Amino acid sequence: MAKTATTITTRPPIGRLIAPTAPQILEAALPGGAHGLIVRRPSVPLVEIRLAVPLAAEQIRKPAPVSILSRSLFAGTDRHDRAALAEAIEDLGGSLDAYVGEDRVILSGAVLAEHLKALLGLLVEVLSSASYPPAEVKADRNRASDETLIALSQPDVVAGQALRRRVFGRHPYATALPSPTALRRVDDAALHAVHPLVLDPSSAHLVLVGDLRPSRALALAEEAMAGWAAAGTAPSRDLPPVVAPRPGPLDLVPRPGSVQSNLRLGGKFAVLGEPDWPAASLAEQVLSGMFSSRIVANIRERNGYSYSPRSFVRHGRAGSSFTLAADVATAVTAPALVEIFYELGRMATLGINDEELELARRHSVGRFSFETASLPGLATTLANLAIRGVDLGFLTSYPKAVIATTKAEVDEAALRYLSPSRLVTVVVGDPEAVAGPLSALGEVVLRP
Amino acid sequence: MPTRPKRARPAERTVLDNGLKVLVVPDPTVPLVGVAVVYNVGFRSEPEGRTGFAHLFEHMMFQGSAHVAKMEHSRLIESAGGRMNGHTLPDLTAYYEALPASALELALFLEADRMASLSVSEENLRNQVDVVKEEIRVNVLNRPYGGFPWILLPALAFDSYPNAHNGYGDFTHLEEATVQDSEDFYATYYCPANAVLAVVGACTAAEVFTLAERYFGSLKRRRAPKHGPWPEPRLGADRHRAVRDPLAPQPAFAVGYRTTDPVGNLDRYLVYDVLASLLAGGDSSRLRARLIYRDHNVTEIACQLGTFGQDAFFVRDPTLFQVIAFHPGTATTEALLADIDEEIGRLATDGPDGRELARVVAGSAAELWRSLDSLLDRAHIVASVETIHGRAELVEELASRMATVSAADVAAAAADLLGQHRAVLELQPAAS
Repeated sequence: MAKTATTITTRPPIGRLIAPTAPQILEAALPGGAHGLIVRRPSVPLVEIRLAVPLAAEQIRKPAPVSILSRSLFAGTDRHDRAALAEAIEDLGGSLDAYVGEDRVILSGAVLAEHLKALLGLLVEVLSSASYPPAEVKADRNRASDETLIALSQPDVVAGQALRRRVFGRHPYATALPSPTALRRVDDAALHAVHPLVLDPSSAHLVLVGDLRPSRALALAEEAMAGWAAAGTAPSRDLPPVVAPRPGPLDLVPRPGSVQSNLRLGGKFAVLGEPDWPAASLAEQVLSGMFSSRIVANIRERNGYSYSPRSFVRHGRAGSSFTLAADVATAVTAPALVEIFYELGRMATLGINDEELELARRHSVGRFSFETASLPGLATTLANLAIRGVDLGFLTSYPKAVIATTKAEVDEAALRYLSPSRLVTVVVGDPEAVAGPLSALGEVVLRP
Repeated sequence: MPTRPKRARPAERTVLDNGLKVLVVPDPTVPLVGVAVVYNVGFRSEPEGRTGFAHLFEHMMFQGSAHVAKMEHSRLIESAGGRMNGHTLPDLTAYYEALPASALELALFLEADRMASLSVSEENLRNQVDVVKEEIRVNVLNRPYGGFPWILLPALAFDSYPNAHNGYGDFTHLEEATVQDSEDFYATYYCPANAVLAVVGACTAAEVFTLAERYFGSLKRRRAPKHGPWPEPRLGADRHRAVRDPLAPQPAFAVGYRTTDPVGNLDRYLVYDVLASLLAGGDSSRLRARLIYRDHNVTEIACQLGTFGQDAFFVRDPTLFQVIAFHPGTATTEALLADIDEEIGRLATDGPDGRELARVVAGSAAELWRSLDSLLDRAHIVASVETIHGRAELVEELASRMATVSAADVAAAAADLLGQHRAVLELQPAAS
């Protein structure tokens, strides 16, 4: 065949960097004092629902009761037993679950749009009249304890716990998963006691996002929330601020025979909504927060040490933290850590280049667009912003701030938050194989 | 009817002269586009002695092509503010990205360049073999319940190499993979006529067709390879295998039954999907209500179709109906299997009641809409369904077709499970 195939070899432009339009949010005070946030987004015929409440320091330090509460909340109400409640929710094409975050509880669900009213009714029924039948609570705590055993057998969970202790020291955020023993001690009386302290309408944020009419959804929310009254005086939710961890030796958590080592580095990080957040976030992305980052290029694409080296930033109400994670073959544990320290040190001392800045800016704005493009993404984003008390103007100002951030600001943030001397290191791995090589790099302390 | 009729999102399609199918599903509600290229080849088609090759090859597709250097693919997509990924299933391999609408042309350029002129070097191949080995260590070797049950259940439930082998691959096979293997696999399976391009989101069909012609139109026409089907008779006797997982704190088991042909007999296959939800969908489902919440003998139980559950509607025959349970050992596996048989038996005898059936259909509709909400996922789902079923429209029809499933249909499917021989894979925890 004589037809010459001409492949197009010139790259199309990647398009202008445009800040996305922020969603229109209807905010309102709801009966009982809850804060309502409602957004119309008719992409699919669903509504996503979040109800977020902050935890007090005491509840974070002793997590077992809240952990069981998040399950037994759906174990029965004054109108439904557990099976009937599950049926009533599922009849609506709905779902409703509770999750405990580091300093909050989030009830999360979704429902076919035409059944929003009914699901809100069931949500409030649970909040106002969960009955914690003793036999159900007993079963829930046993299951929670079994699931915790399984979680603790995951090296990723073990590494996360060890890093949390190291980064947060005496702060409530250092608290590990509740132990199976503590979970098995929680009874229905404990749940009746903790329920009104945690699930208090005056500190709750209710988010509705989806195929809805805002004014009608607000009326439905008002009607439903009128049925949820405060049952007492909620405790202070104030938390001590997160402080930077004290640098020190590397913590090695022994996992004999492990074929991989889980490397975790962590430290205090910029707070979302504060002036240095855009610059710090850009620094994090250049280092390890995207596929085309320095860490991925080095330890995955150049050295083949790790499948998914990555980093993430967690925003608590009391402060933010950074985690860099890489799971590497046991034999290359120390060499991989050398490369990570090299990249951290290179960034802290030499900064980033203009090309990386432009890439990270565009990636940041794009990531932000995607986080707020899906219904669950937007609903979760709004709940998390609300519970941290971040002004919702952030949704408009953040992309603009990212676009305006300079290289000098990013370099300064990298020095402040990502210098090797500011971070602590935890490794989960086979001590016989890795303790020796790791000791060549610095002091190693075994933390069984 | 809990699932109100939808504003339909009609798919528009064309086929280029070289055989590439192009599919567009416009959606003006977001300023973004999702782009997917799905190749009609998965790990069922990889050569013997080369287990894991289809997945390894997926990694190579991110290693550069004639006009895109290594790591440049991700850099261009991320600098456009986009995100990307890929995955390998038994019957297909998907590559997809979601970007601001202004970067649509860039995505098509990148996909066309790697379809036209992938460049695989020895160095890049060795690097990605190492990366894939770390992926397998993270997901299988270094964690409890790693690869359970998707690696070993097919090996027990099927006999022929395409259906039974480990799609992640043996380390030896991965290490033996050569650049020549890669070139052969690429030449055979990665041609336009063996692929579907789907674009969803803020775009028009006319615009996508023009751009597709511009970027893919010059690729040479090659005949799509013939591979499969790989039919297998149902089991002639029950099979059982116990494996020890020294990292697992508690036992688990998985049961594999055969379904009907997911493509040739979709309406009957949907009955098995409904049956899976009735048994272990929500907390009101029969097995969850009984074994988790009444008897407290099971920590987690699920039923799924396909290899991973998410691939239920883009997998070909033969495939499995799976029941997967994790339990504390307060009841024996035999006792739990008897409970499961009893519940399936009740459905076979009495069928579900009307409210129960309607509930499951509503739940499936909501789950389906949820899976389509992300443009990244919508793009590869649409392209995958088009690849396997030849009709992407099915995606939006599944909920209403499920709504036509009757109690008698469910009873018949339940009876089919009970009447067949099955494969039971037991996972035993570390000896305490």
